[in-house]
Amino acid sequence: MPGTEPQPSFLGRISIRRNQVSAMDVNHDPELEELELFQKHVADRFTDLLSPQEEVASTETLLSISWLRKLVDVFLCCEAEFKAVLIMGRDPSQICKPPLDRLIPELLDRAVKALDICNAVSSGIDSVRQYQKFAEIAVSALEQKPMDDGQVKRARKALNSLLTAMKVDDKEKDFKGAERTWSFGRRGNTNPFHKERAARYFRSLSMIIAKNWSASKQIQAMSSNLVPPRGGEPTGLALPVYVMSSVMVFVMWALVAALPCQERSGLATHFPIPRQLTWAHSMIGLQERIGEEWKKKEKKGSVGLLEEMQRMEKLALNLIEFADGFQFPGETEKMEEVAAQVAELAEIFRKMGEGLVPLQAQIREVFHRIVRSRTEVLEVLDHAAKISQPTT
Amino acid sequence: MDHNPPEKSTSLSRNVNGFAGHEHPPAEEANEASPVPELSLLQVLEDVDGFLETLSKPNDNPPEVPGCVELLLKMVEKKMANYDSNKFGHNPEEDSSFFECLTRISRFTNLFSEFTSNPIIDAPLNRSSTVLHLSVSLLDIEFRTILESCIRNPNQNNSDSRTPKASKQPSFGSHRQDSDRGEPETTQDEDFLAYSQESISNMNKIATAMISLGYERECCMAYNMMRRNAFNNELDKLGFSNTSIEDVQKMNWETLEGEIAAWIDFLRYCYSVLFAGEQKLCNFVFSEYPSVSQRLFSDLALAVTARFLIFAEAVALTKRSAEKLFKFLDMYETLRDVTPPTDNTHSSELKYETCAAKSLLGEAAISIFCDLENSIRKDHGKTPVPSGAVHPLTRYTMNYLKYACEYKNTLEQVFHKHRKTEEGDAGGKPNQSDAEIIEGANEDGTPKTSPFSVQLNRIIDLLDDNLEMKSKLYRDPALRYVFLMNNGRYILQKIKGSTEINDTMGAKWCRKRSTDLRQYHKGYTRETWSRLLQCLNHEGLQVNGKVVKPVLKERFKMFNSMFDEIHKTQSTWVVSDEQLQSELRVSVSAVVIPAYRSFLGRFQQYLSSGRQTEKYIKYQAEDIENLIGELFDGNPNSMRRRR
Repeated sequence: MPGTEPQPSFLGRISIRRNQVSAMDVNHDPELEELELFQKHVADRFTDLLSPQEEVASTETLLSISWLRKLVDVFLCCEAEFKAVLIMGRDPSQICKPPLDRLIPELLDRAVKALDICNAVSSGIDSVRQYQKFAEIAVSALEQKPMDDGQVKRARKALNSLLTAMKVDDKEKDFKGAERTWSFGRRGNTNPFHKERAARYFRSLSMIIAKNWSASKQIQAMSSNLVPPRGGEPTGLALPVYVMSSVMVFVMWALVAALPCQERSGLATHFPIPRQLTWAHSMIGLQERIGEEWKKKEKKGSVGLLEEMQRMEKLALNLIEFADGFQFPGETEKMEEVAAQVAELAEIFRKMGEGLVPLQAQIREVFHRIVRSRTEVLEVLDHAAKISQPTT
Repeated sequence: MDHNPPEKSTSLSRNVNGFAGHEHPPAEEANEASPVPELSLLQVLEDVDGFLETLSKPNDNPPEVPGCVELLLKMVEKKMANYDSNKFGHNPEEDSSFFECLTRISRFTNLFSEFTSNPIIDAPLNRSSTVLHLSVSLLDIEFRTILESCIRNPNQNNSDSRTPKASKQPSFGSHRQDSDRGEPETTQDEDFLAYSQESISNMNKIATAMISLGYERECCMAYNMMRRNAFNNELDKLGFSNTSIEDVQKMNWETLEGEIAAWIDFLRYCYSVLFAGEQKLCNFVFSEYPSVSQRLFSDLALAVTARFLIFAEAVALTKRSAEKLFKFLDMYETLRDVTPPTDNTHSSELKYETCAAKSLLGEAAISIFCDLENSIRKDHGKTPVPSGAVHPLTRYTMNYLKYACEYKNTLEQVFHKHRKTEEGDAGGKPNQSDAEIIEGANEDGTPKTSPFSVQLNRIIDLLDDNLEMKSKLYRDPALRYVFLMNNGRYILQKIKGSTEINDTMGAKWCRKRSTDLRQYHKGYTRETWSRLLQCLNHEGLQVNGKVVKPVLKERFKMFNSMFDEIHKTQSTWVVSDEQLQSELRVSVSAVVIPAYRSFLGRFQQYLSSGRQTEKYIKYQAEDIENLIGELFDGNPNSMRRRR
């Protein structure tokens, strides 16, 4: 009978309305302190994500590659700490008792969904690396001096392909009609290869998960049963499970929003977090900012909010406009302006070159970390089941 | 008329012609072209070559651009217009002439651009660069069109004989046949991947041209994108589809088993046939640029393999259970045995990713195998197996181990490579993972230890302990020994029957095991037959040299009833191993019969013949022998049947 079982002393003392940090002064329960510390660290990390310290603020713009790398790092740190709270030094039988007997399987279910998201996002990074190659062509063509019609046309073509690839919207569409209109022999400065056809290729290459798989549905499923432990009810480990789940859902959501990913309609809605939790403030702040960005972009059918991609898109549009109006040898003033844009594009291209591969490696690490923790939790569950067996 | 390329042909056109060489359609079509522009083209090219020579000399000021440059550009524009109606490859002579022109345009465009912002050069540079770009764009479209031709017109070349039979039957341990099956034959020669010979040669010409004209990136991106799509289509056609980790989690084992079998077939087919064809195509198309070819192929192999690895990882993450071990190991072996299609710097990521998937499978396999310990520990039923027969746990464990040991080398490898991650949980003897994977045994018969052999020993030791415990459930000590003998014998026979386990356990262990069995045997004999033999003891029968008849009669009665009782009980006991059964009977006979015979011989005379003899001497020695022959039959009716 779960209700009659004596709760470990510290469990009863944690209340969800624990926004008064001063309460900590009166108790010296190491486990409770550990829990407080975990929440505090989560809060600190998310505050840093929301408003980075001044010296790095310029390089860590929201949703930029370096920001995402930091985000993934935050996940890894929180995860490590969470595991320590959950597993180390615990009586394993605890995690078989209500409410954990329900919360832990839910957490593991989220973990599995997160693994699929990691794979999808990692493939999204592959797509971004393709965009990067188009940008590389455009940059090297436009860096030619003097800039001539041929090179401008070449750059235009690459930028066009870049935009086409980036405009791939997540939804599967019937492209049969498009196929028929594609004909051989069209050329000139119009996009020679039918746009939609190319887009279809891009999309099909980025589909590495099952056809009907949807990133936004998975995110929704991950958060649908995510509810904060109610005040008054013995919380114990329920709270850290909730914290970690929120971190996981948030990080996966942000990654899916930032990078090209399979099927993301309805991503703008985010899960509610009770404001009184110490870390909630910054996470909600981030949710709102990213959510707004997403709403802006959703209509345009963009591939993702990655800051570098957004800038790249804007530059590509500008440069295409420039290319369309270009007449050799070009006006000096205009040329200077373009040179600055090309330099910016080159800078983005360089950043992508530096950051994408490490980001992908980090996401792989997230994958493996989740796998490992999941295995460990399963082992604890197994172990706990064995302990409790003889008594039943 | 001279249709040959001019003497000063560049390496590009030489390559192109060299490749196309013999296999091109007759020259009739070329003859259709009007001779006058052809002749003047030659003239123009010669002039341009002369100009290029001047241009490439170190010079502060650019030379004046001669009219032949513009003439050439005009001609190329005309050629481009012609391609609107005449497909590329339709007239190979024309194509190579087009390439020759482009090579020169590219050369002077490059040389022009060295004179930055010189008004004399600017205009011609702009003009030539534009023509060059438009020409290459044309080639780009052609390239994609040809590349796509196989996707749009799936060729019959992909005959069914080459596709794998995705056997979706779940098959417990059927992997051995699988690996015996020969690789699908690669009979297709040149017409592979649904491209005609002509298409391939055209792609080669275009790719060579595009790269030499400075459009390597465009060319590679088009190739990469189109071929990856074609490859994915091919896999789709075969029935390989992507699955999410979550879906795999939800699959029941039977379905998943089928998926795994199919996955193995697909992966093998992919590596042995599809990759081979793909690499060949890549090498043909980029024959002039081996490093480009290598990189493109490696990228494709990585992208394709990634799809397979997702499934492997998903499977490794499913709920672990004993029956999955063999399929996991099948997958592990498949990943291990498919040789990387290329072995160069580009393939390191592929190897890394494959290793990651392998270690997930390996760790899962270890955990399943080690879980055998738990299932043995958990088996503490309180009901003894009737008749002292082989316990189901013994059968299950030993058959499982026998199966598992068919994968011994793989398991050794898996334990060696992936064990350390399990260390904390295993609790046993850590650091054994440093041991080398070795075969055979030390000279003294002890096996060389490896993490796997340690684990195997642990499991068998646990089984022994468990059986020892179970044997205590029998009240009859003799039956207890029969139980231990039966199970011990079963274990020993299974181990001896499998070279792999036998090698792992070692001769010394087997000797010890045999000694144990002999002890059980002795114990059994003692428990059952020593008491019986007491009846046949000569002592106490004679008082002052005279046989005391009532005692003798009592002895015979006792012997008869005891023997009947033993026979009644023990013929219901089971010794299923025939050899053990006959050994037991022989040894029992050897103990009982001589004693009985001599007792009979010595004391029969003291009983008056007739009624008394019949009453007390129920059995002759032969009868005893026959009855002993009925022991351990597991047949409760033998006594009745005999009567």
